Amino acid sequence: MSQFWRRHRHWLAPTLFILPGALLFGIVIILASVQTIWVSFFDWDSVGPMQWVGLSNYEQLAADPQFYVSLKNNVIWLVMFMLAPPLGLALALLLNQAIAGMKFLKSLFFVPLVLASVTVGVVFTWVYDPTFGLLSLIYGWFGATAPALLSDEHLVSFAVVIAALWPQIAFCLVLFLAGLNNLNEDLIGAGRVDGARGFAMLLHVVLPQLREVSFIALAVTVIGALRSFDMVAVMTSGGPFGSSSVLAYQMYEQSIFSYRFGYGAAIATVLFAIMAVFIAWYLRTLLRPERETA
Amino acid sequence: MEKDKGSVIGMQLATTRRRFMIGTGAVLAGGMLARPALAQSKELTIISNIGNADQRAVLQRLADEYSKASGVAVTINNMDHEAHKTAIRSYLVVGAPDVCFWFSGNRMKAFVTRGLFDDMSDLYEREGYKKVLGATTGALTVDGKQYGLPLGGLLWGMFYRRDVFEAKGWTAPATIEDLLALGEQAKSAGMVPVSMGTKEMWPAAGWFDHMNLRISGLEKHLALMDGKLAYTDASLKPVFDKWEELIKADLFTPNHTSSGWEQAAAALAQKKAALMDLGGFIKYGFPPEDVDKIAYAPFPVIDKSMPRYEDFSLNSVHIPKNGKNKENARDFLAYFYKPENLAAFLEAESAVPPRIDCPPSKDPLINAAVESMKTVVGTAQYYDRDTDPDMAQEGLKGFQEFMVKPERRDQILERLEGTRKRIFKG
Repeated sequence: MSQFWRRHRHWLAPTLFILPGALLFGIVIILASVQTIWVSFFDWDSVGPMQWVGLSNYEQLAADPQFYVSLKNNVIWLVMFMLAPPLGLALALLLNQAIAGMKFLKSLFFVPLVLASVTVGVVFTWVYDPTFGLLSLIYGWFGATAPALLSDEHLVSFAVVIAALWPQIAFCLVLFLAGLNNLNEDLIGAGRVDGARGFAMLLHVVLPQLREVSFIALAVTVIGALRSFDMVAVMTSGGPFGSSSVLAYQMYEQSIFSYRFGYGAAIATVLFAIMAVFIAWYLRTLLRPERETA
Repeated sequence: MEKDKGSVIGMQLATTRRRFMIGTGAVLAGGMLARPALAQSKELTIISNIGNADQRAVLQRLADEYSKASGVAVTINNMDHEAHKTAIRSYLVVGAPDVCFWFSGNRMKAFVTRGLFDDMSDLYEREGYKKVLGATTGALTVDGKQYGLPLGGLLWGMFYRRDVFEAKGWTAPATIEDLLALGEQAKSAGMVPVSMGTKEMWPAAGWFDHMNLRISGLEKHLALMDGKLAYTDASLKPVFDKWEELIKADLFTPNHTSSGWEQAAAALAQKKAALMDLGGFIKYGFPPEDVDKIAYAPFPVIDKSMPRYEDFSLNSVHIPKNGKNKENARDFLAYFYKPENLAAFLEAESAVPPRIDCPPSKDPLINAAVESMKTVVGTAQYYDRDTDPDMAQEGLKGFQEFMVKPERRDQILERLEGTRKRIFKG
């Protein structure tokens, strides 16, 4: 036994350690994904028998106006979420200074990270409420009536994204703060000797060193925007009349409330394909520098 | 969604671990193996979807009493009302309880046709329920067999504050013209005529139900619900014409998609609105001391020649086919369904008792509904209970959109008609 172990432990030990994670990942992520794609070719209500319908679900999807509304909203999410990394960086630079009380200020900026996103959603729903919300109070001071943001089909998505941006910016802020703490002092010193200061220092000495952090922040933000679901569910349930729905929410609504699991699976598959493009790009960029150094 | 999957896996792991422990224990204990089998016949599991704490307490009390009298160990698993609607589809297939709560009519039929609810005709026979239930039995019957017991009925209609109406010298609107006239008076008094919150969408569909029942009548309404009538049918035109007139007269709460029904009910309680279209559970929007100020009036008459049809939704209780202790379930339900027990259970939600032999209630809202039911000629349940759930989802969305953008009527109805064709195949 012990001889067997000694001879094989170079591969046995890592395998055993990876096994639980791999098993769980295999069942929860890979198996579930494959199954979802499989289900998308069926007409199924999750209780009765499954009926093979081929690509019919995808054909219906292509003709469904709600699908394009959801897709458009996903694009709005994606574009607006791109604000999170630069805003996070700006805040990080602001907070990364040795001033008294800065620690307290920093912790204030971390607050949205601690809150569950459902809580953030509920709080923002109150802020936007046209009768008693903070927004209507502010408008009231100027003698104006606040727009009912969550009732306006054109503004509602933006209102939800702004709520979701708050924790996302804080997340990027934390990433950049960690990055700023790891800056190479020698390089900064060298830059100072060469007469770089202010904006030039930021652009040519600090930012290049934050390249990897920025990359992670960007990737996480993109994926966060695409898988947005909880905020929509809490704040609007996709409403009014589906105008703030996103693909993930539409999938949930179709599967759970309309008993159309095949159709929901087709939406999930489309979302998966869109995400796969970003993930492929992410992995490619991530692996390239590693290959260069290896 | 990922989190859900994780917890399901976690549960599966937990049960296998438990099974392993039980297995080990059984091997060690040897002779004690016989006991769990014995204990099993003395068990009863109930899944309840009741959100109201008072009503939950009544159910617990009845379960305890039954348990004491029969020696059956009763377990009640409480679930969130909305979460239960989705959970029931999986637990009826795997891990069914012995008794569960649900809704009669089409929602029940969906499970009956899939063989997931037990035929309870024997219990009806044994306890003579048909005699005390009368026509209500129909909502629980599929192909001549009964698959559940009706619980409280919710009669929908217009609610208002009696004290406000007395102070202003108003009377509850009997006709749609009265409603429009009252609307003008309410607006000039700085109040919203009809409190409406469509964040959860269904209140808009209820309004459609009531208008359609008043204008087209029950038969046409049910044909629409069963997918036999097109949403583009000419008979719906006067309904949407009238509805559009009400919307354009600013009868409803502005920005109603931002608020839920509870906020809308609170507006009525706070005297910011004059009327609201809801069921007896409106009292949850009121502070306890104001509940006795709530008054009920039927939805206004539109076509005087139309008999009175109303939405009367009936909750129900069932025995899942895959439950283990079907006999205990029947015994428990027989006890639970005794007139005095049922009345105590229903009093907590101001619902109309389905049995004619229940003791008279002290709740004025129940009595008003019981009184009003006497002139009702026929009943539907409610839009999202009467039609296919898939159709209901699109319908609710469509009615909400119509209330905000009445000018999109044709577009919305075309879309609903497309959905109807897809679901009902023609």
